[in-house]
Amino acid sequence: MADPLVIETSGLQKRYGSAEALRGLSLQVPKGSIFGFLGRNGAGKTTTIKILLGMAHATSGEARVFGLPAGSPAEGVEIRRRTGFAGEEKDLYDYMTVGEIVRFTAAFYPRWRPDLEQRYRKSFELPADRKVKALSRGMRTKLSLLLALCRGADLLILDEPTSGLDPAATEEVLQALVAHAGAEEMTVFFSSHQIGEVEQIADRIAIVDRGRTAVAGPLDDLRDSYRRIQLVFAGEAPDPVFRASGLVRARRKGRVLSLLASSGADAIIREAQALNPVSVDVTPVSLKDIFLESVAGED
Amino acid sequence: MLWYKSWLETRWRFLIGLALLMCSAGAMVLMYPRVQELLTVAPSVDVGGEIGRRIREAVELSREYRGFVWVQGFSQNFPQMGTLFAVLLGTGGLLSGGAALFTLSLPATRAQLLRVRAATGLAEWFILALVPSLLIPLLSPAIGESYSVGGAIAHGVCLFLAGGVFFSLALLLSTLFGDIWRPLLITLAIAAVLGLLEQLPPLTGRGVFGVMSGETYFRTGSLPWAGLFVSAAASAAMFYAASVHFERRDF
Repeated sequence: MADPLVIETSGLQKRYGSAEALRGLSLQVPKGSIFGFLGRNGAGKTTTIKILLGMAHATSGEARVFGLPAGSPAEGVEIRRRTGFAGEEKDLYDYMTVGEIVRFTAAFYPRWRPDLEQRYRKSFELPADRKVKALSRGMRTKLSLLLALCRGADLLILDEPTSGLDPAATEEVLQALVAHAGAEEMTVFFSSHQIGEVEQIADRIAIVDRGRTAVAGPLDDLRDSYRRIQLVFAGEAPDPVFRASGLVRARRKGRVLSLLASSGADAIIREAQALNPVSVDVTPVSLKDIFLESVAGED
Repeated sequence: MLWYKSWLETRWRFLIGLALLMCSAGAMVLMYPRVQELLTVAPSVDVGGEIGRRIREAVELSREYRGFVWVQGFSQNFPQMGTLFAVLLGTGGLLSGGAALFTLSLPATRAQLLRVRAATGLAEWFILALVPSLLIPLLSPAIGESYSVGGAIAHGVCLFLAGGVFFSLALLLSTLFGDIWRPLLITLAIAAVLGLLEQLPPLTGRGVFGVMSGETYFRTGSLPWAGLFVSAAASAAMFYAASVHFERRDF
């Protein structure tokens, strides 16, 4: 039986005036997954997160978290009670001290974890009496993460959790995230445009492009099924129409025809060989390549 | 804890306002004997027109302690300073400061967020309106005068309810704008225009500042019920508009 879905959206649309931030986004995030939500800046990642948490209202379509409608004010409270969140800007209450904002946040969550609070305060070296406004960007990120991790939540939603951090701090945050998710058996949904960190910790991904889901699935499956097929011809490369399914993109440049297959590479290769290329090269595709191909402009 | 957050966000505005208004009330009372001396030696005012009439009336009223308190305190210092602090207490804390998303990620409804923020500000504004007024009857014996507690409370209530209009307007504008400056400046500009309009003879004492000053109570002994009701209704309407907009808003 498939894992139940913690997050599910279908046909999600969001319009800000004449600008379309989301254009029918569909997502399924299974329980217990570490889900990387990849996309370029402005692809719709933050808007999606805001809709899931009731911070923005969808123009149309449906968004459900824990099976509850994200747009309902009453159900939204229940969703947020079970969800830890850290925003991209890591904006917190500057006028509070670290200790005050921890106590303030803890008061909203009956399942707050004092044991984790103590552990992360120590490992993140967060001084309780320092004002939030006096913290560095890295310390703010760690404090945001502490406030999200200790809520005793079933779901963690993180918007660009490592943005603005140096490589060492990024590594520290990612390690903490993976260790926490593993120990607490929670679902993690995090947005990023850093392919490396998504590859490092995610087991499932969705690539969003211009407000739509371009690619989604388990990361290992995507790596296994995606293939680049490079055909070299004696003369100008042809512009064929392939009947086999799974062809994501075909690019022609001089004598070379480059194909990206999301699945069914064998069938595509068989069709390609009928075009009499002088050579056929099949190579695995990295997540970076999948991402770049998915978000590239139409030819 | 939302109350605690609202208190932290507004405490300095509130405490500074309370200190200034109490200093103003105290200084006014303690200066009265000196003002009396000056009034006896001051030449009679010889200015024509509406301004001259008002100055003469103010001088005449100030010869008596109750009149002096009204002219200096309840019709001038308290409404002017009170308006500024009512607006300051109604401004900010909802969207400003950059932490709106963190606040909205908490398991509280937007209606709760707005209600707590409004209630904290209103409670502080109530104290700002009442406590300095009550300081007058408390300090008056120090200069050999007396002032009724009932009168101080009546003026305080007028100040609170009519000044609440500016608080509510600032709160409404705070749900529309992400910064604290536009709600603050727009509300103060509207207050200044209303104040200037009330200087025109047909409108004198008939606007929100007239209600704030409790002029009807000072002259007739009865509260300006119609003005207080309209002020409370306007405040309630603006709070309702703020809550509707806050609920619908995208962040």
